[in-house]
Amino acid sequence: MKRVVLLLAGIMLTWSYLSAAELEYFQVYKPKEGMSADEIMQIKYFNKYTLFAHDMSMTGRAYFIDKSGATRERSTARKRINLGRKSDGIAYKDLTIFTGPTQVKGLCSLVWTYLNAKKEQEVWLWLPSLKKIRKVSQSASDDSFLGGDFSVEDITTRRFEDETYKIVKEENFPGYTSDFMKKTYYKDTPCFVIEATPKRANWYYAKRLIWIDKNYGVNIYEEKYDANGKKFMTLLRGHEIYNVDGKEYPMQMYLEGKDLRSGHITEIINETVKIDQGLSEDEFTEAALSRSRW
Amino acid sequence: MLKRTLFIFLLLICSCSLAFAELSKGDLTIAGYLKDEFSLGLKTFNEVSKFKNILQLSGEYKFSDQSVFFTSAKYWYDSVYDLREKYDAARHYMGHIQRTDWLRDCYLDYTSGPWFLRLGKQQVAWGQADGITILDRVNPADLTEYWLPDAVDLRIPLWMANINYSPKLNSNLQLLIIPDFEQSTAAPPGAPFAFRSYKLFMDFKDFWEGPPIPFIKPNYGVLNTNIYYPAKQFKNSKFGVQWQDRIGDWDYTLNYLYGYDYLARTYSDGSGYRFGIPYPTITLNYSRRFKLVQMAGGSLNHTFTEEGLLKGVTLRGDAAVYLNEPTYYGNAATGRSEGVNRWNNVFWLIGLDKSVVTNWVASFQFAQYIMEHSKPGGGYQTLNSYTNGAQDAVENIFSLKISTDFLHERLKPEILWSCTDDNQGRISPKATYEINDNLWFTLGIHYFYGKEVDSNGQFRDVSQFYTQIKYTF
Repeated sequence: MKRVVLLLAGIMLTWSYLSAAELEYFQVYKPKEGMSADEIMQIKYFNKYTLFAHDMSMTGRAYFIDKSGATRERSTARKRINLGRKSDGIAYKDLTIFTGPTQVKGLCSLVWTYLNAKKEQEVWLWLPSLKKIRKVSQSASDDSFLGGDFSVEDITTRRFEDETYKIVKEENFPGYTSDFMKKTYYKDTPCFVIEATPKRANWYYAKRLIWIDKNYGVNIYEEKYDANGKKFMTLLRGHEIYNVDGKEYPMQMYLEGKDLRSGHITEIINETVKIDQGLSEDEFTEAALSRSRW
Repeated sequence: MLKRTLFIFLLLICSCSLAFAELSKGDLTIAGYLKDEFSLGLKTFNEVSKFKNILQLSGEYKFSDQSVFFTSAKYWYDSVYDLREKYDAARHYMGHIQRTDWLRDCYLDYTSGPWFLRLGKQQVAWGQADGITILDRVNPADLTEYWLPDAVDLRIPLWMANINYSPKLNSNLQLLIIPDFEQSTAAPPGAPFAFRSYKLFMDFKDFWEGPPIPFIKPNYGVLNTNIYYPAKQFKNSKFGVQWQDRIGDWDYTLNYLYGYDYLARTYSDGSGYRFGIPYPTITLNYSRRFKLVQMAGGSLNHTFTEEGLLKGVTLRGDAAVYLNEPTYYGNAATGRSEGVNRWNNVFWLIGLDKSVVTNWVASFQFAQYIMEHSKPGGGYQTLNSYTNGAQDAVENIFSLKISTDFLHERLKPEILWSCTDDNQGRISPKATYEINDNLWFTLGIHYFYGKEVDSNGQFRDVSQFYTQIKYTF
């Protein structure tokens, strides 16, 4: 059940909470020289949650690899509709369906995220073992996301207001080589390096160093540090730029998380992305969820 | 025998895997599993009570975005009924799947604008309760293993028309027309989870049809039992309506169900006397009949998402009134039923769920089953239909489930404790381990406690340790 709760909000790698940013939905924002750390991070959260698009759908795969090399896999199909609607305060709605392996096939979550950053998400699950819907609470932010190396807040619940920010430096990113993808990412990409400190006391990390791509305002890489200043986690977020009606949408397509303490690695790969295809909000209701078959 | 079984299952694994690889292309999706369930009595640890092998195959075919066909079939065989003589009496019924029960789903989905139709054999779940069927009474229940299996396996699917119309966002009107009828099932005497009331009746039948016993039963006896199913006519269909909507952040449903109850009640139809020397023969006639009942109720759920003490708590609830529900009365001390009253009884539940610390989730439920009258009259008591023990006028039911995970969610332990205010209940700890993507292993215990006349207490001697191994494809 717990795992269920986690995936809810979602496997949707790139998707989560809208920050307090007052950026207007369905626009494309890029950082500019001279912006403050807060302004850059607002754009970063806007892009992370794909608020530039009206809707999207994608399939994806997640791999969980332990120190011995043993690998487990999950596959999903996801849909999102962005609303930014002030009348009922809904920012966006997500639907995630597990398509494999068979043991979890059919497990489905519907998540509504609100504009008000202090308001938690609403989450409904379709549970194949019960063939019914259960309303559940949002997962704890420090819990691991699907048992992988990303935390729930890395994927879905961290908000702009949760941390304070300062620009540490500007540099060309040295590059990140993924053994899994056999590829080096972002070599020599100009970046802002921002230090993010959680406002919560005794949180599971003391600070994050975040590399923000100067061209597109997306978080391409980050490192987490514990209270002793020791780096314990690295996260890569690989993006592809989708050109939709002349606008450039930066989409998270590949994520790699490495736990430096346990050697465990999580890989998330997004595939078959479709953007602004005119999804109906009727597909994101409890009634629609109850029509699941598996 | 075991070698042959093993061979057949290996063959099935290979053929199904190949079929899956071939067929899961395009608009056709096939998936399934093989599962072995084994249980051992906790009392002596040498009493095997289940050795069940299950094969399930499911398939989905998309004709278009609007039309999808889905079906699933299941076969199982429980070898324990071959291995243990003590279960012989139940073998005919419990040893393998019965009649058309193998077909679990077979329906066509059709979507058009605000309309959604699901036509065919299916199960429909109403309500928010876990493990307690307050509104979840659209389908009959298979209680041959008490309430231990997953809900998806407990419900007996029926052929029905499931018609839905959404007049506005987040609302839905559902109409169910169910011409099919199946009765809820129970394990026969001889099986580990045979209800005490069933056993008492069969014991009485054996006694009555046995030879005369001086001063106790000075006659030969015949005990006739007839079962009368509702006639197969459309007018005997079951009908259900559910309205689903949302007020603010609160989801609610209103539910109504009308039709024949799935549980037959036993009625005495009088007796006959035939003179004989030296002993007469007395015939007792009983019939089991299904009665028309109505259920009206509703459910709600809400997650407290705003700042405050309750933030992160999910509240859910069900309530129903069963109009004219058949309710046994009789002598609880002897366990003998004397008849059936038709009362308007109420069942309601409230549940609270919360992620307590990081990956620990707690789920609590409290429910009350309230009889319309506290006493049936005539010096009799209201009877628990599972056991023929005394039924409280107000039954208080509690359950608490705590679950978590370890090893990157490969190991998922949980414990469920459900009980009533009569100091009887069940404690069920279990742990599931994901060996790989397709192989899962579960280890657990069902520990029952209480008196023999209590719903859970009647199974105190069949508390069990169990394992399940499941291969999916």
